[in-house]
Amino acid sequence: MRTGGLARVVALVAAGAAVVAAQSAAAPGDAKLQAQLKQLFPVATAFSAKEGDSPHFKAYVGDPATKTIGGYAFWTTELEPLERGYDGPIKMLVGLDLKGMLTGIIVVEHREPYGYFSVDVPQFATQFVGKNIRDPFRVGSDIDAISRASITITSASRAVRNSARRMARQYLTPPEPPKQ
Amino acid sequence: MRRAAARLALLALLSLPLATLPLRAAQPSTQPATGEAPSARQKGDRATADQWNFAEEEEAAESWGQIVRSQAVDLVLFAAFTTLALVGFFQKSVRLQLVTLASSVVYMGLYKSQLISIVNVYGLLSGNLPIFKYNLVFYLFGGFTLVSTVLWGRLYCGRICAFGAMTQLMDRIVPARLRFEVPKAFDRRAAYVKYAFLGGALLYFFATGDLLFYRYVEPFWMFTRQGTVVMWIGLATLLVATVFIRNLYCRFLCPVGAFLALLSNLTVFRITRWSECKTCKICEKTCEWGAIRGPTIVASECVRCDDCERLYLDQQKCPHWLILKKKGGVAYMAPVYSPTAHSP
Repeated sequence: MRTGGLARVVALVAAGAAVVAAQSAAAPGDAKLQAQLKQLFPVATAFSAKEGDSPHFKAYVGDPATKTIGGYAFWTTELEPLERGYDGPIKMLVGLDLKGMLTGIIVVEHREPYGYFSVDVPQFATQFVGKNIRDPFRVGSDIDAISRASITITSASRAVRNSARRMARQYLTPPEPPKQ
Repeated sequence: MRRAAARLALLALLSLPLATLPLRAAQPSTQPATGEAPSARQKGDRATADQWNFAEEEEAAESWGQIVRSQAVDLVLFAAFTTLALVGFFQKSVRLQLVTLASSVVYMGLYKSQLISIVNVYGLLSGNLPIFKYNLVFYLFGGFTLVSTVLWGRLYCGRICAFGAMTQLMDRIVPARLRFEVPKAFDRRAAYVKYAFLGGALLYFFATGDLLFYRYVEPFWMFTRQGTVVMWIGLATLLVATVFIRNLYCRFLCPVGAFLALLSNLTVFRITRWSECKTCKICEKTCEWGAIRGPTIVASECVRCDDCERLYLDQQKCPHWLILKKKGGVAYMAPVYSPTAHSP
């Protein structure tokens, strides 16, 4: 009885370990990235690996087998590598749906001295949710100006706008203009 | 001897970017490759690609007119402020100097909050700077600071920097009996601490790339009013200490000041001294920055506050004029100048 109990525990632990191992083999080290992608596309059922000339991830919706694309995610630093703030690029992950609306952005990495109170605060990222790529993305008009951090904020906004537009030009068909 | 050492330090500092050059030379070759690839491809399949036709901006590169116009307000304000500072400097006017200091606190500090920081020194040395065309004021500011330091000395520290302006104004308000005059020997040694801060901070930046550390080295973040508890406690300590020891931070601790001090060894237009200065101690006693040692003015400590130069011009006080007068040389003298009267 006692040995049987022990055997059962060992078996359970082994099974658990096997499941964990299998999962981490399926997603080698990019659990964090998957979580970030999921944050931009909560309804997506799967994501492609990074691909394309303008490197991006495809977000699939519905049955993963059908590979129906629901949107794209990409790193601003890969699409606009020359954009820079105070001290190099501001690395952001951007989600873009098929109509040219931003599903969100995640500020991942930067070395901006004034970033801790400008791009790091959640309000910065949330104001991009639902923005249309035809919007001007101009700091002070449709993006909140953060006084004292204008170099950082304007650089980040330019990076989001220009990388999203680059994606749109290559992969999206503009929606029909509303009939008059 | 001392100047030679300072020149050597400056040379070493300026050669740092050269040392990192091979590192960076490798980068651009990969960067533009990834940067240009998408746009090149884009042109290839334009017919299918660009149905969006984003009208304005980025396709037709903005003209310089547009770029300048979008930053015009900032440019004009900054130009006005530096003009005010320079006019006060050239006129040796006390009143304009006070106006400059007050506007520095309000405009450079509370309104703009972008002072030259150790981060910018690191940026300059590591070749990491913002994009030129979008940040004209930043470059104008940086350029003005470097050029004015080479031309006249640490003018930046004396009138442009908002923190320095604030502590200088503090010094005029705080009752003199609270002030503790540090012994000369201590003053001279403590002045070197800032170079250690400069070297230490730069080494730390080059080693770790962790720029946010700057907030614990310099207090300029205070104008952004965004700090952690530790930062506020440090700032409060510094300000309380500044009540007792004037311009404590600028004289002994500031790494940006240390960088400009190294640069100021190259100063072109120095303060001229009379032969009488060898024995006279009036200016040395008046100097609030500990920059006058006997007959020489130590360029790296001098922030061009004008205090000694106003004395030179004062024919009632400066022995140079008093001796001339005694010799009967009154006829050669310029019109009587008194710093209390309104300057031209």
